[in-house]
Amino acid sequence: MSTKVTINRLATGVPGLDEVLGGGLPEFSFNLIAGPPGCGKTTLAHQMMFALATPERPALFFTVLGEPPLKMLRYQQQFDFFDSQTINQSIRYINLADDTLAGNLDEVLRRIVSAVETYSPSLVFVDSFRSVVLASQTQDNPNNNLPQFVQQLGMLMTTWQATTFLIGEYFTETDTNPIFTVADGLIWLRQSVERNSMVRKMEIMKMRGQPTLPGLHTFRIATSGIKVFAPAPLNPVETPLKFPIKRVKMGVPRLDEMLGGGLPQGYSLLVAGPSGSGKSILAATFLAEGARNGETGVIAVFEQRPNHSQNAMLSNLIQTGQVGLVDSRAPDLSIDEVVQLLLSEISRLNATRVVIDSLSGFELALAPTFREDFRESLSRMVNALTRAGVSVLMTSELEDRYTDLRFSPYGTAFLTDAIIVQRYIEVQSRLLRIMAVVKVRASAHSDELRQYHIDDKGLQIGEMLTDQEGLLGGRPTSQPTETIHAGDNNV
Amino acid sequence: MSTLSEESRQIVASLACRVGPNADVARIAEATVSILQAMDAALTPIIGRQGVVAMYRRSVHLCACAHPQLAGVSDSAQAAPDLIALKSVLVEQSAVDALHFGEVLLTTFYELLTTLIGPALTARLLRGVWEPSLSDTPSQENSP
Repeated sequence: MSTKVTINRLATGVPGLDEVLGGGLPEFSFNLIAGPPGCGKTTLAHQMMFALATPERPALFFTVLGEPPLKMLRYQQQFDFFDSQTINQSIRYINLADDTLAGNLDEVLRRIVSAVETYSPSLVFVDSFRSVVLASQTQDNPNNNLPQFVQQLGMLMTTWQATTFLIGEYFTETDTNPIFTVADGLIWLRQSVERNSMVRKMEIMKMRGQPTLPGLHTFRIATSGIKVFAPAPLNPVETPLKFPIKRVKMGVPRLDEMLGGGLPQGYSLLVAGPSGSGKSILAATFLAEGARNGETGVIAVFEQRPNHSQNAMLSNLIQTGQVGLVDSRAPDLSIDEVVQLLLSEISRLNATRVVIDSLSGFELALAPTFREDFRESLSRMVNALTRAGVSVLMTSELEDRYTDLRFSPYGTAFLTDAIIVQRYIEVQSRLLRIMAVVKVRASAHSDELRQYHIDDKGLQIGEMLTDQEGLLGGRPTSQPTETIHAGDNNV
Repeated sequence: MSTLSEESRQIVASLACRVGPNADVARIAEATVSILQAMDAALTPIIGRQGVVAMYRRSVHLCACAHPQLAGVSDSAQAAPDLIALKSVLVEQSAVDALHFGEVLLTTFYELLTTLIGPALTARLLRGVWEPSLSDTPSQENSP
């Protein structure tokens, strides 16, 4: 039996925050929530308070200078988590403005201690702590010692078995503020603004004894409160490929043949081609084939007018619930938010097929601040999805370039397990389409360039154009020994 | 005020209860002030003294627009609601007028708080004012 202390971890009630904190909030910890004005500090505090406070585990919320409590109560009520019934029961607000104005930190501490002794709270919030700091600086009583105040407050709260949050603003990370040393946890909220886009980010700079998720995590504030988009958990052990490989059908029998019998289950497939080459149609067929076999799917659409571009087959699948639609037109998306939307839809529908149409639209939908890391972000998304065990089809707009053979504009071809490339070629004054399977990892596949056309039943794959050569250059030349003309009768 | 009819009735009833059967102006003034003090005691710990004073001044100002007799109740910035001034104005009125002004002022104060923090939270915070029997209300910790 272990005789070591067990630190309980409290569920914060903020979606995604427990994951970022590394398993919840350590009980009796002394924390600082910092960040510039308007970044959501008070909202975060309230959301945790309403989630955690119970009559047995009450909360005290000390308002100091700064946002007047009347306004705070007025605005915090706009959130769903605010429950008036808990006020003066499990949640008590206590205003310390007068004591703070006097600038006497000893008196402030005495008021806090007396309230803590009266109500025995399990949770204590001080908003905003910054004003306590300022008040101590603007008067010349030499007995006021901020480090000592913080030290005493931290010790008192912990011995009174209260989990404490100080809410402060304008702190700079390079400050040698005594509170940074005393605090067990530092939760930093930021707003990153680039052009007209604003993205909220959270960083756990410190959380004693916890394996927090490092780095900046995006979050949104909606009427339901704060939602943190924690990165999808990494699975260190990748499930090894099982042989024989199970394959999913594409809905185009000849394409299945070219892939060596269908797309291996759990693979990611990139369909790259120029505008109008039928990528979206192939994606819809892929989902329809799943639905035909009783599978469900999810499609993420990142076009400006998604309803406009949807084909009838896809609309029908979405309406009947066989395909879930992720159509976030929220501005300033982050990759983790998209992954979370996809994963929740996948688990809701128990989906096995996922389509992302298209990567180009996806890049545009991301907030500018994430575009620099687009490749890395894509890689994380593909990993998260394939780890969920689904087969993924992604489309990628590809400018036809006849001087080189490229598969995606992002240099992302290596990220996917399989690649299909589509091309236009000119033969006898006609624009014809060809496609080829470029890669299927750990599987034999066709190396043929096949001509195909699109009709109301979808993609129809024809034969190779053996009488032509130089197809990838876009302007093939006839071989003199053959007399058949491409495009006339080989479909 | 129609949306607050129930609360208004509660305020009127509470005032009548505190005034008792012999409705002379002194008792009316006393009862009105005691309810305001109870509201002050319930709100000051939460929204601060300055918040309560500001709300009281706004309520008096709104009432004085319709009832010029109340104009003298609060014309200077005070650190606390100037209830002595209120009392001295009320006792100069007839009993009917004093009761009416008391009701109007209390209702206006209540309504003002409702516009700021909503009916549910207002009712929650001021519950102890109408139920003086609840001994564990924050009115206990009346700041000096």
